[in-house]
Amino acid sequence: MASEPQGRIGVVDDEESIRDTVGFALRREGYSVETFGDGLSAWQQFERTLPDLAVIDILMPQIDGLELCRRLRAVSQALPIIFLTSRDEEFDRVLGLELGADDYLCKPFSMRELVARIKVLFRRLALAGSTGASAAEELLAVADLELDLRRYTASWKRTDVALTVTEFQILRALVSHPGHVKTRPQLMAEGYPHDTFVSDRTIDSHIKRIRRKFNDVDADFCHVETVHGLGYRYRPK
Amino acid sequence: MSTPLRLLSRIRFRLLAFNALLVFLPAGGMLFLDTYEKQLLSDQERSMVEQGRVLAAALSGRGALRADDVTHTLIQLRQRSGTRIRVVRGDHALLADSSQLGPRREASIEEDSPAANAFETWLYRAGSLPIRLYRKWLVPPRPPHESADVYASGQPIDGREVRAALAGRYGAATRISSGGQRSVTLYSAIPIRNDGAVVGAVLISQSTYRILQALYEVRAGVFRVFLASLAAAIVLSLLVSHTIARPLVRLRNQAGAMIDRRGRLRGRFEAPKRRDEIGDLARTLELLRRRLEDHIVDVESFAGDVSHEFRNPLASIRTAADVLLEVESDEERKHFVEIVQREVARMERMLSAVREIGRLDARSEVEDGEPVELSNLLQGIVEAHRLRGGEPAGIEASAEPLWVFGSPERLAQAFANVLDNAASFSRPGSPVEIDLVRRRSKAVVRVLDRGPGIPEAHRERIFDRFFSYRAKADPAHPHDGLGLAIVKAIIENAGGSIRASDRIGGGACFEIRLPLHADRNSLTQ
Repeated sequence: MASEPQGRIGVVDDEESIRDTVGFALRREGYSVETFGDGLSAWQQFERTLPDLAVIDILMPQIDGLELCRRLRAVSQALPIIFLTSRDEEFDRVLGLELGADDYLCKPFSMRELVARIKVLFRRLALAGSTGASAAEELLAVADLELDLRRYTASWKRTDVALTVTEFQILRALVSHPGHVKTRPQLMAEGYPHDTFVSDRTIDSHIKRIRRKFNDVDADFCHVETVHGLGYRYRPK
Repeated sequence: MSTPLRLLSRIRFRLLAFNALLVFLPAGGMLFLDTYEKQLLSDQERSMVEQGRVLAAALSGRGALRADDVTHTLIQLRQRSGTRIRVVRGDHALLADSSQLGPRREASIEEDSPAANAFETWLYRAGSLPIRLYRKWLVPPRPPHESADVYASGQPIDGREVRAALAGRYGAATRISSGGQRSVTLYSAIPIRNDGAVVGAVLISQSTYRILQALYEVRAGVFRVFLASLAAAIVLSLLVSHTIARPLVRLRNQAGAMIDRRGRLRGRFEAPKRRDEIGDLARTLELLRRRLEDHIVDVESFAGDVSHEFRNPLASIRTAADVLLEVESDEERKHFVEIVQREVARMERMLSAVREIGRLDARSEVEDGEPVELSNLLQGIVEAHRLRGGEPAGIEASAEPLWVFGSPERLAQAFANVLDNAASFSRPGSPVEIDLVRRRSKAVVRVLDRGPGIPEAHRERIFDRFFSYRAKADPAHPHDGLGLAIVKAIIENAGGSIRASDRIGGGACFEIRLPLHADRNSLTQ
C-alpha cells in the first residue's frame, strides 16, 4: 500500500454496488474517496471542495454525468475526469471527451484497469507543472509527432494534442513501430492492458477520435492508416 | 407464366375486355334482326295474297276479261307500292300490269334491285363479313336467275304458279330476284272465275328487297353504333386503367423497393392527395409501414436497452469479484459476496421481466382470455399485498360486478405491479387506495397514493421499458424500470389503457380503463 497521500477521488454512480466496490478498491490503493448516488448531490459537494480526480457515471438521475462534467470543466480545466458508461455508442454520440473528460471505461470494467487509469492521470497531473524536457528515452518522436511517455501527452508540430490515456496508449503502440500494422487485438491489449472484455468497435471509435483530434490541429494529418481486414498502422511521412 | 396470360391477368386488360363485352350486346341485336326479318317477310306475303284475292274476287263473274276493264279496276285498287299486280288471260297472255299504270306508277321492283349494291358500303361489308363468309361457305348456293323478273315482256306468262291458277288452284312461287342477293321475289297467282270456269289469273308479285334494304340500313346503323361504342370503350378503359392500374403499379413498385436485401425498411409510400380508394390504400399502406418501422425501432432499441441495462449489474459483479481477491477481513468478504448475490438476483429478475415482456409483445396469450370479475380480483390482490407484509390498501368497489375479458393471472399481475409501485412511494400511515367504478362501457380502476407524485416530464415515460427516475438498486424497493412497462403491455393486450396523473391533494393516480365484457355485464344488469 502506498504510503504517501495520493489524493481525493470523487466517485459518482447511481449503482450502490459500484460505489461500494470502487470506493473500497480505491481506498485500498491509498486514495481518499467520496461517493455520491446522483449528480446533484455530487455537484453540491464539488462546488464546495473540488476532488483531485472524478469518476463519473454518465446515466444518472437528477444531473447526469455529462452535465456534471460540463459544470466541473467550467470550474477547473485541469481536474482529471474518467467517465463510466454502459453503452459505448452513446459515448460516440455525445462526445463526452469533447466536454473535456480525460478517459472513459465501458461497463463492465476491470477494477485494475480503472486503478491503472487513475494512476496515469495522477502522474500526468503531477508532471504537468514540472519544467524541463523529458529524458530522451521517455520521448518518442517520429518526424513532427512527439509523444511524452512520462506525461502521457502528445504534440504535433509543437502543438499539444489532448489525448485520453487510452488514445495515448493506442497511438504509442502504433508509433513505436512506424509502418508496421497493428491488429485490433494488439491495440486492445495496449489500450486496455488489464481489461479482457473490450469489443473491436471500441478500437475503431478510438482511432476515429484520434484522427479527429489531430485534424483539429492540422487538417492534413493522415498518418494513422486503416489496413482493411488487418488493423491500423502509423505512416511517418 | 406466359406473356399473354400475364397480360390477361392485368386489370387494364380485364377492364378493356369487360367494356368491349358490353359493346358486343348491341352487336348481338343484329342477329336478333334475322328473326324479325322472317316475321316481316311472312306478313308481307300474307298481305300480298290478300290483295290478289280481293282483285280476283272483283274480276270474277264479269264474263270474259277485257283489258280496259281490268286496267280500270287496277287503277281503282290503287295498289300499294312494292306490289306488282298482273292479270293474265286463260291463254297466258298479259292483260294488264300495275307497273305500267299512269300517274301512280310504281318504280319497278326489278329495276330497283341493282341499287341494293349501293348499300354495300365498306362499313356494311366490314360488319357483315362474318355473316357473308358464313353464307358463302356454309349455305348451299342457289342457282342464279338470268333476269330480274322471270317474265320477260311480250312472252307468254306460264310460270308454274300461273299454270296452277289457270288450272283453278292457288299457285305460289318464290324466285331469287337478282344474282347474289338474298332478296327474293314472291309470286302468287289466284284464279279468276266466270260461271265456274277459269278465265284468267291475277299474278301478284313483290320483292322482299325493300324489307331487306330496311334491315340492312338498321344493321349498318347498329354496326356504326357498335364501332363508336368500341372506340369509346377502349378510350374509357384506358382512362380507367390510368386512374386505377397505374397508381396500383406505382404502389407495387414502392412496396417492392421498400425492403432492401438485408431486410431493412427503406423509403416510404407516397400518399397521393386523391381521396378515392387508391388514395386510402396508399395512406393505409404508409400507416402500416410507419407502424412496422416503429415496431422495428422498438424491438431494436429494446435489444439495446437490455444489453445496456445488463451492464450495470455485470459491472457491479465484476468489480466486486476483482475486489474480493484483495479483501482481508471476513466481514468485508461477506459484504462483497452479498453484492454479487444481490446483483445476480437482479439480473435474474431482469431476465424474467424481459422474457415476460417479449411474451406479452408476441401476444401469444391473447387466446387464453376468459371473463374476469374485477372487484373480486382486486380484493384478492389487496389481500395478497397485505399478506406479503405491505401496508393494507383501502379498496372501494362498485356494488355491481364488473366483468372484463382477459387472462386473470395477467390482470392480477398488472394490478399487483401498480399496487406495489404505489406502495413503494407511499409514506407510512397513508395507505394506497383503490377504487373501481363503471363508466359507460368501461371499468375504471384507480390506484391512488400519497407519495411525492410523478413529475410532469416523466408521466409518459414511466411506462417505457427500463425507465425509472428513482435511484437504482434501492435495497428497500428493488426495481428495474420494467414493472410498469409490463403493466402497460398487459392492459393494452386486454384492450384497455393506462395513464398516470396527479392526485388531488398530493400523490399519484394511476387510472386503468378496461372494456367491459359485453355478454356478462348485460346478463347482470
